Amino acid sequence: MDFAPARPHRPSSPSAPARIIPLKVLVAGGFGVGKTTFVHSVSEITPVTTEQAMTSLSIGVDDTTAVEGKATTTVAMDFGRITVDEQLILYLFGTPGQSRFWFMWDDLSSGAVGAVVLVDLRRVGDCFAAIDYFEDREIPFVVAVNCFPGADAFDERAVRAALALPPECPLIDVDARDLRSSMDALIGLVEHALARSTAG
Amino acid sequence: MGQELPLEAVVTTTELGIRHGGTLSLEGRTIIELCRRPMSIAELGAALEVPVGVARVLVSDLAATGHLELHLPQAPAREGGTDQAILGRLLDGLRSR
Repeated sequence: MDFAPARPHRPSSPSAPARIIPLKVLVAGGFGVGKTTFVHSVSEITPVTTEQAMTSLSIGVDDTTAVEGKATTTVAMDFGRITVDEQLILYLFGTPGQSRFWFMWDDLSSGAVGAVVLVDLRRVGDCFAAIDYFEDREIPFVVAVNCFPGADAFDERAVRAALALPPECPLIDVDARDLRSSMDALIGLVEHALARSTAG
Repeated sequence: MGQELPLEAVVTTTELGIRHGGTLSLEGRTIIELCRRPMSIAELGAALEVPVGVARVLVSDLAATGHLELHLPQAPAREGGTDQAILGRLLDGLRSR
């Protein structure tokens, strides 16, 4: 038997047999709320973060009074990666926390599966802007209360009221330091996005 | 040039890239080597320690010459929603971790 004829040239790689479908989820919320920690917890790569020391200019933009021991703010972006199967790769992007950097959000949010909005109950107002942003653009999101001191056993109705959350928006608690807990928040988001798409 | 490559666009090295990558510039060879495993534009920028905008240009050039293949995100099935079948697979994949 003859050798099989050489295959016509195709742009394919042995390491990437299938068409790859990239997906993304945004991790949003106020400054110091745990976005970087969350991305670190679930990512299979060492997430890349560019943090710069806060300048006097940014004092007043971000209120750090309730954020003990945090001297820097993330001015670039964190991202992480979860290889879901041989075709799907999920990227997580921490949205820049300062309102000065929100011009980056529109690029980021385009085509996103959805967003996890992290909340620190000591500073709920910090996440209003993120909630408004995703609501306005009809991007599925879940609100995840990060377990800072005082966050155990929060009153769901009070938090929903404080955030003016639509009833269909899931409100969950998360420990952003914990892989399992953070993964559960991601799963909650995808369930929500799927339920919304099914409801059509 | 059309729309900017999204940060999450994934890049893989083609057979052509593997066979003929040696003739490229150092940056090109590095990218060809890195993208033997699928990598996003964001990851490449970080790995090369260049701004994402630079990574976009380098990747676009290497894709135009056939050394790299681009895997773009799917256009949403309809306004504001990821395809249901994809969401289902994503959910299964995350739950099984």
